[in-house]
Amino acid sequence: MTKTTKSSFNLRTKFGDWWEGANSAQRTIFRVVLIGLFFALPMLNNPIINTPETSFYSVLFYPLIMFSLMAVGLNVVVGKSGILDLGYVAFFAIGAYTQAVFSNRTSLNFWETLPFAMGFAMLAGVILGLPALRLRGDYLAIITLGFGEIVRIVAVNTEAIGGSSGLTDIEGPTAIFGMEFTVNDPRPYYWLTLTMLLLVIWGVIRLSHRKPGRAWEAIREDEDVAEFMGVATLKYKLWAFIIGGAVGGLAGAIYASQIRSIQPELFTLNLSIMILACVVFGGMGNIWGVILGAVILGYIPEKLRFLSDYRIVFFGLLMVVMMNIRPNGLLPRQKREKFQEKSK
Amino acid sequence: MTKKLLEVQDILVNFGGVTALNKVNLHVNEGEIAALIGPNGAGKTTVFNIVTGYYTPTSGNVIVDGESVLGLRPYKIARKGLGRTFQNIRLFGDMTAVENVATAADSLNKSGLVGSLFGVPRSRRDETASMEKAHELLKFIGLDHRALQMAKNLPYGDQRRLEIARALALNPKVLLLDEPAAGFNPQEKVELGQLIRKIRDRGFAVLLIEHDMSLVMDISDRVSVLDFGQKIAEGNPGEIQNNQRVIDAYLGVAEDAS
Repeated sequence: MTKTTKSSFNLRTKFGDWWEGANSAQRTIFRVVLIGLFFALPMLNNPIINTPETSFYSVLFYPLIMFSLMAVGLNVVVGKSGILDLGYVAFFAIGAYTQAVFSNRTSLNFWETLPFAMGFAMLAGVILGLPALRLRGDYLAIITLGFGEIVRIVAVNTEAIGGSSGLTDIEGPTAIFGMEFTVNDPRPYYWLTLTMLLLVIWGVIRLSHRKPGRAWEAIREDEDVAEFMGVATLKYKLWAFIIGGAVGGLAGAIYASQIRSIQPELFTLNLSIMILACVVFGGMGNIWGVILGAVILGYIPEKLRFLSDYRIVFFGLLMVVMMNIRPNGLLPRQKREKFQEKSK
Repeated sequence: MTKKLLEVQDILVNFGGVTALNKVNLHVNEGEIAALIGPNGAGKTTVFNIVTGYYTPTSGNVIVDGESVLGLRPYKIARKGLGRTFQNIRLFGDMTAVENVATAADSLNKSGLVGSLFGVPRSRRDETASMEKAHELLKFIGLDHRALQMAKNLPYGDQRRLEIARALALNPKVLLLDEPAAGFNPQEKVELGQLIRKIRDRGFAVLLIEHDMSLVMDISDRVSVLDFGQKIAEGNPGEIQNNQRVIDAYLGVAEDAS
């Protein structure tokens, strides 16, 4: 991942060649080192990557790893299946609110609540998807946009879940594997999210290489033809929504348990757009690309804090320039083609 | 009596005030290559779009192997045994050739997403079966050396043939070919004719829309002619070539044609 991330097109091919030729021991070592590096990231007190004016630990948790997790979830919908979803924040909000409400009203702990947070987000995916996915393109995008806003506005207007002042006193996760989740230290949350992210990546890659992945790609390439070729397009689009929703709900639940109090203003359209930007900026449809996009788009504003208010201008400028240089994203999806001689 | 694998009965299609198809009857027998010809705009592709479920006819019925498929979603009709290609090539461009074919092969198994995620034995078996079938069909169509190339990067002729392989992956009872020879040179047309015969010999009935008359007359067992949404003639190639209505509407008088 990181090796390819900063690389040019060429380096990527070289890495691909190496990976193809590597035996399973070499691949395992590469994976372990890479994953180890990410787990060790909060320990490395490196002045180059540290953020000067914000706690680096906090930045690692939010936005970096949170954006990455959400971007990977949204990528299943937008990048794999080609469904433009402008309301992804809704799933994040549902996960966060489920966590908050269960924490305040029930005796269930974080781990017991997590399946509910993901489950409700998945259910929301079905409820939104069943009517919306019959439409396409612009119309579908507008419906998802509306859905994102509806969830936030319902939260603002429902006193039972705190109205506009939101919910407080959300419990953190109970200790697991000797890891304590305290208010002051974001690192365990980072490790928790990283672990979840790895699981999600594992699942998404498995699906991508099998029947569901082919069905999603076919839908993205030409939905009518996919249908003519026997693909149950509505079912697979719905699955994309459900999986994207589950990942969004997961992210929301962890987020709520870390910041301990949530308000509807945390879940505005801005966040949906930001995550979508991560996906597009990194490279739609390529899981490593969208993670790179999330890391860069999350990191740069923090690094630029010395510019104070001008940093957003600079950030916008950078996106415009980058999208002109690499219109398909930093690491566009790309299949490795193989050329063979014709056999007679 | 030969079995009718596809029957189009009294199909009437109105688009707004325009009658695209007027009480058209067609059928395809088992083991036969049937052709559908006619001038541009006669309604040939509309027939394909009706039988594959993309449009719903105003009235009439479509029967695949004795079973009405009217009102079914296109993917269900495809699974019942209709595979089609497109006049303007419509491959899944960003997928490899073998993935294109495997996508269609996948739709015949019942493996679900959860099974794929956890790699249950059935899903593994289905996965292997789809890939093997895809490779086998690519070999049959002569594209096995292109298996791992992106569909959009294939040469034009290979793209046309890949579409046929993809449609065959559905194990269609009837293969619907929409102008497969478009853009081919004479040599390629001859090869295509041989390929279509090979497909028929493998047990697939074929319904062919084509403008190249030498190809149609050469390989078809039966030809139907559409003009302005009406079927004006049906018969074997010899009868069609000598049918005055067909000559007036479509074939024209042979002056210097070979």
